[in-house]
Amino acid sequence: MVLPQDVLWYKDAVIYQVHVRTFYDSSGDGIGDFRGLAQKLDYLQDLGINAIWLMPFFPSPLRDDGYDIAEYRSVHPTYGTLDDFKTFLDAAHQRGIRVIIEMVLNHTSDQHPWFQESRSSRDNPRRDWYVWSDTDNRYRGTRIIFLDTELSNWAWDPVSKQYYWHRFFSHQPDLNYDNPVVREEMWSVMRFWLDMGVDGFRLDAVPYLVEREGTNCENLPETHSILKELRSKLDQTYPGKMLLAEANQWPADLRPYFGEGDEFHMAFHFPLMPRMFMGLKLEDRKPITEILQQTPEIPSACQWCLFLRNHDELTLEMVTDMERDYMYDEYARDKGMRLNLGIRRRLAPLLDNDRRRIELMNGMLMSLPGTPILYYGDEIGMGDNIYLGDRNGVRTPMQWNGGWNGGFSNADPESLYSPLMLNPVYGFQAVNVLSQKRFDHSLLSWMKRIIEIRKSTPVFGRGSIQFLYPANHRVLAYVREYGKDSILVVNNLSSSAQAVELDLRKYKGNILIEMFGRNIFPRIGELPYLLTMGPYQFYWFRLRKI
Amino acid sequence: MPEGSILSDDFLRELINVGEVDILVGLPTYNDAKTVAQVVQAIRAGLLNYFPRQRAAIINVDGGSRDASQDLVRAASISDLQHLSNIHALRTLHCISTRYEGGPASGTALRTVLSAAELLRAKVCAVFSADSTNTEPEWINRLLSPVVMDNYDLITPTYRRNKFDGMLVQNLVYPMNRAVYSKRIREPYPTEFAFSGRLGSHFAAQDIWSQDVGKEGAGIYLTIAAITGNFRLGQSFIGTKARVDTGAADLVRAMRQTVGVLFWSLDPNFAVWSSNGASESVPTFGAESDLTLEPLRVNRKRLFQMFALGVAELEPVLKSILEPSTVEELQRAAAVGEESFRYSDELWVRTIYEFAASYHKQVMNRDHIVQALAPLYRGRAFTFLAENRDASAEEVETKVEGLCREFENRKPYLLGMWNERK
Repeated sequence: MVLPQDVLWYKDAVIYQVHVRTFYDSSGDGIGDFRGLAQKLDYLQDLGINAIWLMPFFPSPLRDDGYDIAEYRSVHPTYGTLDDFKTFLDAAHQRGIRVIIEMVLNHTSDQHPWFQESRSSRDNPRRDWYVWSDTDNRYRGTRIIFLDTELSNWAWDPVSKQYYWHRFFSHQPDLNYDNPVVREEMWSVMRFWLDMGVDGFRLDAVPYLVEREGTNCENLPETHSILKELRSKLDQTYPGKMLLAEANQWPADLRPYFGEGDEFHMAFHFPLMPRMFMGLKLEDRKPITEILQQTPEIPSACQWCLFLRNHDELTLEMVTDMERDYMYDEYARDKGMRLNLGIRRRLAPLLDNDRRRIELMNGMLMSLPGTPILYYGDEIGMGDNIYLGDRNGVRTPMQWNGGWNGGFSNADPESLYSPLMLNPVYGFQAVNVLSQKRFDHSLLSWMKRIIEIRKSTPVFGRGSIQFLYPANHRVLAYVREYGKDSILVVNNLSSSAQAVELDLRKYKGNILIEMFGRNIFPRIGELPYLLTMGPYQFYWFRLRKI
Repeated sequence: MPEGSILSDDFLRELINVGEVDILVGLPTYNDAKTVAQVVQAIRAGLLNYFPRQRAAIINVDGGSRDASQDLVRAASISDLQHLSNIHALRTLHCISTRYEGGPASGTALRTVLSAAELLRAKVCAVFSADSTNTEPEWINRLLSPVVMDNYDLITPTYRRNKFDGMLVQNLVYPMNRAVYSKRIREPYPTEFAFSGRLGSHFAAQDIWSQDVGKEGAGIYLTIAAITGNFRLGQSFIGTKARVDTGAADLVRAMRQTVGVLFWSLDPNFAVWSSNGASESVPTFGAESDLTLEPLRVNRKRLFQMFALGVAELEPVLKSILEPSTVEELQRAAAVGEESFRYSDELWVRTIYEFAASYHKQVMNRDHIVQALAPLYRGRAFTFLAENRDASAEEVETKVEGLCREFENRKPYLLGMWNERK
């Protein structure tokens, strides 16, 4: 299969996020690898996704799940070789699946040779590849991100007897982007992978590249300049490749990362995600519509990335204190579910394994403006294990079948990189791909169907959105339009049946065609259009003037 | 309005949009545009401060205002269409309004609130008056919290009052209600109160709504129904309440809404009040009574004149209602002149109980009985003012307590007359 040449491919994408370690172990060592991932591409093709976002797979001491990179131009040996990666990449492309890889620009592992050299002496040529200081009083206006583990953004290096700057764990020293050599080297790293054929990068922790005294060291103009420079080089040399920003910021602060269409192609919409969960629990669309009202317009070639869950905690940084308390009380009563300023749980357990709520949330994910990202395992409703440390509870092995190690690996269960989910509700014997493939009404089958419908029209990926604001606040309704296509989306956020009247006079004369069953609903007239909806039900209607 | 329903189709449509709520606040209005905005904003602030997570709605029931009362209530809504930069709310807050015909009627308003509460499955309800000029968000907390947190069914307020404010309550409604129903509820006829959905449903099912008591006197009957239904009662101190001065109150109307309903309630609840014992206090959050002593201008001379005139002009009526000895005593008292006149506790209690018994026996049109009590009450009010002119708050409280005991001690007198043939 030849990949479509459209440079805006990311707008129509349905992205599947996966860590190679978690998906399938082909070598029998208890750890997933690229050969295993390649073997499961048919599954992903069948699911309907058309892009994969791979979490870090580089050599690393793995003290932060690979986000502590010790070598940028290689593959961690437990995941295979560069050739294995290349084989996987080609196989994905043959199936029409693009591959986005992680690129951690902001920092390296303290085990990276660059840092080892940098710390070896104050006059080492790589000394200024990192941010060093005689005092830990600089940049005091900068918040600490990992509040649960770090007391300062400075760490003392006993070797060279200076402090080094780190925005994340102290074993992740920040690179010094004021040094042009560093900038050139990181572009060289990106070129290495682009030349191999990857389709884009998810750039990690981009707001923090540059530090300046008297600021909070986030979102600085100098950081944007560096990112624009990268984008310019990318467009010149590798047209059609994509940059995705990871910046956990308010929408207004995120807007500059799109520039004038000359910085990032896509950025995660972090504040929307917790508000979708909040709106569902409150049975009130207000949190969702309010954050989308606050979301600025972005250049036409740019796109938001939407997600329900990912490899991190459900971050609650971008909510008010009142909202955070509410979210904790409603979604993480057990304090073991909380981490940093967030909740470390998967989608299905967050929603009490309620199929209707899982479908509704995925329905909104797929129909709100942006490109949806599915987190591996959520398509079958995998659970989490909050008794594993850090965020490892949401990174357990993919559950393929009810057999040995859930079909993930032939290794001894004790040697797996992570314990399998075993409990009777979410364990691999209850929740697995094989059993769900056999039933048309399984969650997996339903996910395939909604992805198929999402991809059947460009409206969801490229269309405008117009909210309808019916008086019933439990109903979130909007019209997506692109060209001549219009789709009406109506979501009942309530646990009870609702009646809603929609003002559709603008579309008078259209009939409604429900997109899942393709059934026809009455023609729109002058009067408010009355719909009755079951608990957590949603409709996608194609508007047709026939 | 559909036949047999008190809810219009438009209002029903609005209720559908509100959906199930945890807290419903009812706000009856009638030409209250001067004050209602402040009241509804205080209610909204109270809900946001003290119950930010609960699903709440404010429902205005208007008796046909010709001013902007309804619009002012609706404007307090919080939704994703109305952006109020200084308001931080988790949820949508609907402020909706409906109107009924026939002029202001507290019972009709309360019934509408109860019907809405039942439809919306409200767990907790409250009613606030729209003519208050100093409603505080804290009132929401004080009235609703015991119901929300501690499962009380009815929370009535206690106020900081001037010692001469609320004389009808202090001299008649509170002591008689306490004596008859054995619960020491200071404000049995409150304008602000909170109640559980359970009590609301119980009360809505009462067979009173087609009668006068349901139209005008539902407020006090809610308290009585809560007592006789063995609901969990409490009081909460909310402080001073100020309201717009609308001139002289209509005493007869006030008596119909309070004393008339109290008398009326004795028949259906005879089994309860005839057998219960001494009065009991109810749990009170904050002060039970807080009197202030600022001078209050009251035309005592006029009160006495109206009393004396009433005793003289209504002699035939009073003779039908009261025992001969009571009429004679009243006539003697009216004849002594303003300086020496005193309407004693003992005579006042006897008067009231004889009126209650006559009301029961329907010796004449019941409304006439209630109206005939008005001049006598004025005589009692004159005495209360005279006796307490220089009294401290504590002394006034002692006097009120003495009157209550007189009502309680003489309850057998009421029982004795109850079955006596006229």
